[in-house]
Amino acid sequence: MQFVSLGFLIFLPFAAIVNFIIPRKFRYIWLLVISAAFYISIDVKAAAVMAGTVVITYFAALLIEKASSGADQPASKKSAIILALAVTIEVAAMLVLRSGKILGAIGISFYMLKAIGYLVDVYRGDEKAEHNPLMLALFVSFFPQVISGPIERAGNMLPQFAYPVTVDFDRMRDGFLQILWGYFLKLVIADRLAIYVGSVYNAPENCPGTIVAIATVLYSFEIYCDFAGYSSIAIGVAKILGIDVMKNFDSPYMAKSVAEFWRRWHISLSTWLKDYVYIPLGGNRKGTFRKYLNIIIVFIVSGIWHGSALTFLIWGLLHALYQVFGYITMPVRDKIVELLKIDREGLSHRTIKTILTFFFVNLAWVFFRASSLEHAVAIIKKSFEFTPWVFTDQSLLGYGFTQGDFKVTMISLILLIAMDILNFKDIAIRDKILSQSIWYRWIIMIGAILAILIFGIWGAGYNASSFIYQQF
Amino acid sequence: MKIKISSIIKTIAFLCVTLVCVFAATVVLRSKESEYKYKSFFEKSDQIDVLFMGSSHVINALNPAVLYEKHGITSYNMGGHGSIMQATYWELIEALQYCNPKCVVVDSFMLQKNYQYLDEMDESYSDADRQSSISQLHLNMDCWPLDKLKIAIVKDLIKDPEIQKQFFADFYVYHNRWEELDSNDYKTLFGHADKNNLFGAEMRYGIELTPGIYPDPEDKNGLGGHTIGEEYLRKIIDECQRRGIDIYVTFLTCSATTDDKRAIDSAQIICDQYGVPFINMQEMGVVDLYTDLNDTGHMNALGAIKATECIGDIIAESGDLPDHRGDPAYSDWEKSAEAFRSSIVDKELNSESIYQQLDYLTESDVSTILYINDGSQAFGDNQMQRLIHNFTVTPTIYHTDGPYIMINDVASGKVYEASGQEVLDGVSTSIGTLHYIPVEHLFRLLYADEDPDTNYLYDDSKLDYDIQIITYDNETGEVLSHNYYKSYGSNYTKG
Repeated sequence: MQFVSLGFLIFLPFAAIVNFIIPRKFRYIWLLVISAAFYISIDVKAAAVMAGTVVITYFAALLIEKASSGADQPASKKSAIILALAVTIEVAAMLVLRSGKILGAIGISFYMLKAIGYLVDVYRGDEKAEHNPLMLALFVSFFPQVISGPIERAGNMLPQFAYPVTVDFDRMRDGFLQILWGYFLKLVIADRLAIYVGSVYNAPENCPGTIVAIATVLYSFEIYCDFAGYSSIAIGVAKILGIDVMKNFDSPYMAKSVAEFWRRWHISLSTWLKDYVYIPLGGNRKGTFRKYLNIIIVFIVSGIWHGSALTFLIWGLLHALYQVFGYITMPVRDKIVELLKIDREGLSHRTIKTILTFFFVNLAWVFFRASSLEHAVAIIKKSFEFTPWVFTDQSLLGYGFTQGDFKVTMISLILLIAMDILNFKDIAIRDKILSQSIWYRWIIMIGAILAILIFGIWGAGYNASSFIYQQF
Repeated sequence: MKIKISSIIKTIAFLCVTLVCVFAATVVLRSKESEYKYKSFFEKSDQIDVLFMGSSHVINALNPAVLYEKHGITSYNMGGHGSIMQATYWELIEALQYCNPKCVVVDSFMLQKNYQYLDEMDESYSDADRQSSISQLHLNMDCWPLDKLKIAIVKDLIKDPEIQKQFFADFYVYHNRWEELDSNDYKTLFGHADKNNLFGAEMRYGIELTPGIYPDPEDKNGLGGHTIGEEYLRKIIDECQRRGIDIYVTFLTCSATTDDKRAIDSAQIICDQYGVPFINMQEMGVVDLYTDLNDTGHMNALGAIKATECIGDIIAESGDLPDHRGDPAYSDWEKSAEAFRSSIVDKELNSESIYQQLDYLTESDVSTILYINDGSQAFGDNQMQRLIHNFTVTPTIYHTDGPYIMINDVASGKVYEASGQEVLDGVSTSIGTLHYIPVEHLFRLLYADEDPDTNYLYDDSKLDYDIQIITYDNETGEVLSHNYYKSYGSNYTKG
């Protein structure tokens, strides 16, 4: 069962209604049951791996707590050894099993990070070890997040599982709207763009240079809409079940620097890497060189987490180098801005920074998408072949796109960018919609449902299990 | 509690409105092909006496409008594009849920097909063939409501469960039709969508000038073994005989390959075993391969008229099929017959090509004057000569370099011809008493005593055109159309 399936659309209301009816103190058991059912429906063998992870994490946390003479106490050497052992086992399992060739491994990279984060929190004394194994199992396997995150923290989730909030009508509507937006991003935008990008990237040598460049830009939107769409559905589903999950995307392409991009893109992973890798390495407290080195290490880890191929490593390294280069050149850039008397807060300056940041991020995405280094280099080289006539000689069409697809893509991207700008300006769009009269609300919701059903890429010939981040 | 009840009511209302909107979207977006073909079937199911079953050969060859016009027998053409025998069998079973025909005519084309699943076929087919086969099945299946029978049918014809889904919920496959929507798609919402006025038949109006001729098989043993096609033909016969429905098996004329001819022999063997009449039109000489085919596989409207009249004569002989002509309850069939006849007349007056026009003029709904100037390349065109010879009994057209004139006066039943410097002097026609004199290359006279000032065959602005076809009303003699053609080898441009 996938988020994009009829089964899930039947499963979710059933899960939510039962969750709404049963007493609050037993809800975590119900959530665990449906999480297990959801996961098993995707891959039984992978459920065995997850069960093993739960067992190791549960006992390791108890032992760490015991070795530390209780919660809130400084860690002992023994607890450090237990932590190291458990983390090593889990990281090794993640790296070995994530290909899925030995045992099923769906979502392993995501729930393993949750488990490791929890163990480190217990070791640090930030969290008490969870003594209820069902509660811990739910934390690891909570179905909205299990496939592709957000990678949550025990400190946020376990208290909510123990005492979930009341699901009222407003919360239900809010969650529903968020789910609709997620499906729109995924089905209408991401999967439509995937057709074009796939068609161009399969044979870039046969396409005009500007088409390849356009496909690369569209890939940036594809991966954003795919992953943000998943996250939005996950957060909305959790909300309907009475659980608040952290935000995972915050208008990332509005960022004015690569460092800011990472504060807005895949926030749950970025903050996890910051809390459990960057800061333990010393962060920016041990001098400039160590800071740069730590950034590089963090992004190498991020690259490896995304996949074993060299292209992911290059992608991670590029992002690290962007940031290091940004820090090194900051004094020079500041000087230029000062000399030219550029208004830092002016719209034009901010826009240029946003565009440049998008360009660098976009360039790195080529390595993320390409099948090999050679493929990535070929795409980049081809992208710089200037063939602007494609805008006027109808060459833009084709590559799996009809005139209609092109129009839907343009309208959808304009809507996406408008929503991101509003979000960037801290305007809560869902709150605005929900504060409207019932007629406007219904028109928006029903309009969204129809748009997803009609313009979405689903149905005959469509592979419903293809969320990009599901592979990591 | 008050808030909860209002919330529940609002939620239910929202779901209802959403469902209505989604349902409306499914109606608009759904492909209308199947609905178009079978709408009249559901409307007239209690009036249908004969069902025509089979593939596209049947769709194009058997015309209920013609059968009604000639015999007053009501029928429906249930043929499906690309329908192999198992698809035809299930189509019949579905149809029998809604009507009680007295007679079923089933065509045996594709009897040699020996695969069960349309999405699997066999190794000789490409993926495009499979896709096309699945797509064509939608024409047969989309119109039937989802029930146990439809589920069983889809499972029998389609192996892949993912593909089966397309047939259970059509929104699954048609939701992305939004780019193709036209006014008819929206009319469906209000029940005013277009429908097939030929009761399931589709006429083609082209002409196949070079049908292939293939050798006969060396023996008469048929396909020489058991095929799935044969199995389902037997099932069709069994089902009809079990229900007491008269059944006729046919093979409709086409450019039959040697394999097709083996299938004909097999059909004959099966029919003999069951004591069922087998109408092998291929050997009956009813349909002319050179004038009555639209392409090598399918008949054109002229072929359909001949084939339907032939089948009609045979099934009417049984005496069990009532003649509904004149019954006001069957006025729609009357209208359909009139509309079809009118479409044929249109082709006689104005066709896309000279071949087509000459072909349709043999229907004689109007009278014809054909003039070909001397030196025209039409005189070296065997296909053109053959079409002209269909009107005449003399071989004049084969032995002249022109000029040539032929007058087919339907009212009098006479055909007049003249070639070279021959004249026609005072021939009696519906236009009047006509005189034809070939004066010189660019000038000739054709006038009627009643209107000597009108020279029908001369127009200053059309001197370049070497062929003229004039049609006139059989009764009044009023000129209905005047077409000019220019020959370039065997290509003709219309003026």
